[in-house]
Amino acid sequence: MSSSSVEDIPDQCKDLFTQDGVLLKACIGRPVTDLNSIGMLCIVQNVDNTKCIEWRPNDLITIDSDTQDQEWAVVNTIGRRQRTLSGNITSDYATARARIIRIPLEDLKTFRVTRNNQQMQFSTKPGVWQSTFYFQHGNAEIFVAYLKNHVKTAKTRHDRNTYVVVEPNVESQVLNKSFAELDIFTENTTDVVWNLVSNFKQRPYETTMEAFSKLTDIVYYGNEATNGKRDVSEEVADLLTKSMSALEDATSVTRNDEYEVISVKPTLPPRPSIPRGTPLSAEKWEGLQDTEGRVTEVEGVKQLIFRGGVAHSIRQTVWKYLLDYYPWHMTHAQLRVLHKKKTEEYFSMKLQWRSMTEGQESRFTEYRDRKSLVEKDVNRTDRTHPFFAGDDNPNLVVLSDILMTYVMYNFDLGYVQGMSDILAPLLLLLGNEVDSFWCFVGFMEKIASNFDMDQAGMKHQLLQLQQLLTFASPELARHLAAKDSGNMYFCFRWLLVWFKREFSHRDIMRLWEVLWTGLPCNNFHLLICVAILDAEKDSLISRDCGFTEILKHVNDLSMCLDVDRILSSAEGIYHQILSAPHLTDQIRVILGLPTVGTSTSSEEVASTSQADNGTVEDSDHSLYGKDMEEGTLKYDGIEIYIVSKTVWALLS
Amino acid sequence: MAKTYDYLLKLLLIGDSGVGKTSILFRFSEDAFNISFISTIGIDFKIRTIDLDGKKVKLQIWDTAGQERFRTITTAYYRGSMGIMLVYDVTNEKSFENIKNWIRNIEENASADVEKMILGNKCDLDSKRQVSKERGEQLAIEYQIKFVETSAKDSLNVEYAFFTLARDIKAKMEKKQEASNPTPRSGAHQLRANEQQRKPTSWLSRCNLL
Repeated sequence: MSSSSVEDIPDQCKDLFTQDGVLLKACIGRPVTDLNSIGMLCIVQNVDNTKCIEWRPNDLITIDSDTQDQEWAVVNTIGRRQRTLSGNITSDYATARARIIRIPLEDLKTFRVTRNNQQMQFSTKPGVWQSTFYFQHGNAEIFVAYLKNHVKTAKTRHDRNTYVVVEPNVESQVLNKSFAELDIFTENTTDVVWNLVSNFKQRPYETTMEAFSKLTDIVYYGNEATNGKRDVSEEVADLLTKSMSALEDATSVTRNDEYEVISVKPTLPPRPSIPRGTPLSAEKWEGLQDTEGRVTEVEGVKQLIFRGGVAHSIRQTVWKYLLDYYPWHMTHAQLRVLHKKKTEEYFSMKLQWRSMTEGQESRFTEYRDRKSLVEKDVNRTDRTHPFFAGDDNPNLVVLSDILMTYVMYNFDLGYVQGMSDILAPLLLLLGNEVDSFWCFVGFMEKIASNFDMDQAGMKHQLLQLQQLLTFASPELARHLAAKDSGNMYFCFRWLLVWFKREFSHRDIMRLWEVLWTGLPCNNFHLLICVAILDAEKDSLISRDCGFTEILKHVNDLSMCLDVDRILSSAEGIYHQILSAPHLTDQIRVILGLPTVGTSTSSEEVASTSQADNGTVEDSDHSLYGKDMEEGTLKYDGIEIYIVSKTVWALLS
Repeated sequence: MAKTYDYLLKLLLIGDSGVGKTSILFRFSEDAFNISFISTIGIDFKIRTIDLDGKKVKLQIWDTAGQERFRTITTAYYRGSMGIMLVYDVTNEKSFENIKNWIRNIEENASADVEKMILGNKCDLDSKRQVSKERGEQLAIEYQIKFVETSAKDSLNVEYAFFTLARDIKAKMEKKQEASNPTPRSGAHQLRANEQQRKPTSWLSRCNLL
């Protein structure tokens, strides 16, 4: 099949956007047998220029099981395609055609996105959701963003997931071009195309970026650079057909008697294996201070600690810096003054509760409650460790005193379960009440939101963890969601006390000091979670763990984890995420990376799509220096998005 | 894989921090007691399969963190539980007063027909007692919930409590199943009859059954 035959057929509709792997969940007026089948959700331009949303079952798309045409058919679903696949018409095909669902855009009244952006529902009549689709790969974000180029929408006041169509067919003319019309390959088309193909295998990333940059040239500077307008669609079609072998790794093919499901998954670049370093030694530490004791190369010190931790012999000192008790730039003399001041401050706060009379206590319920909680927890904190073991252990009194003084230091927060776990290793290492208190204050500063009254901080982190996992380990994230565990509550203990219950004292000291550096990004502790979960992916999925088994498995990991291996793979995952071309702003925000403003927020898309005469040059945004995948979306370039998707398939 | 049990019951332990929920569970699942328990963070569960009137009943018992702050998380696990043990500490007045709050919490988050039982734990610590057995019984009558004082430390009434709760749930399930075949006996009668069939043990004299 050649593309020229496509061009020759006059009666054709054009797919403006296609989204694979979309499950039909519900549709009014359709038999149950039609439901739960996988298909493709498209935005289609009809011959008369009207548009509609169309869902086609996969058995329609991949009707022919002959390999060549099969592969072509997949390619053909992307971008421009004809309505009928000549020569493939069978009775199955006719049946499948009858299952197509079409929603004319002019009839579309509202749509909404629910279930973690994975479910989309459409309505053409107020109060009735005619059809429900579930996005199995990724989510509906891109589809919604593109749909909003064709209909003007407003979000409803009471439900921010629901969009009301205020005006159909708001069409941006800016990039209403097909891939074929964008002459990417200016010189000898065939040669360039073939170079591209052969390069994909050897230098996938560079090749892709090169192709992108050419595409960018066209998008950004227009077609003026090209001469002798050549239609390369034929070559491109050829290229894609013949390069399908490269696609095999990136596609999962589910064979079935009736049809094949072929899905293309964006995958992360390979995970680099990053060796851990040696701990910061006493000699090195001394060398990093000037004659008066100032630590000058703070970032360098943090880098070293991030890489290898701190030698146990100098932890007592270094932790005070890491926990913001000692400012890095103070001299020894200044620190002595500070220490004296902090000691006095501590004991004056301690005196406040120590001098409380029984009568006062009896009229101070909140204080009594906190005190009782502290007492209960102190008696069950690390009692198996020799430092806290035995009856009447004086260290328990110190533990209790510090926690009670912290209640006076931050009465609003008071004492919350988990704090004694946080404090115990600090006291164990520092052995000194005052120092332990101030280091504890520093640690609490970093994790105070874990103890919010409404648990908002914990919930937020669990959500962020879910988002990171979805990006870094989508298969596992999908499995967890399917098993009612998408809320990640089974990681609650990990996050609340920063893995204190999962590691020995020795290992938790290493993990904590690395995390305190704040390197290499924000929320690295969430990537620790991702690393642990990703390492357990096979058991979590293959044993087909349900809701309870997942919790059990995760709880049972306690004391069975290798801290260095986890740190190393968490860092590897960080680099994977960082170099993923499909990195989203959502993930960037979590990791504290600068965003590139590629969010497809409604305002942005609306303003772009309404700029009727707007040319690409009108945009303030440059595509250079940005990750392409999302950047391209801004320009409403459906074909561009599709190209990137195709290239990604080849890449992976 | 063949089922190794006839019934799977999901139970839940709730109550204030430090009343001994984990200890009770540890006693029941491992028949052991450890003075230096750690506080429960988040949620965990243990399994024990018991033989109940000739049926294998697998108990999946969920243990939760007691502090109020964590309730938004722990209540997520109330769903699907068939029986709830409300635990207070007889040496802690406040934990007893809070039982009312926990019952309200159940009403808001668990299914309406969940079986409940109140446990007054640490009854071995008589010298520190703040809540008399009578007050426990009174509260139980008020809410029409079964009540027993327990000691995880001395292994007192822990077995009895779980067996009783499990039996009540099982009876309720069977009653539902055999709705077409009603038996004239009330649930309470049936329970007593069953107990007599089981070997009388020392705990029988100490237990309190409404």
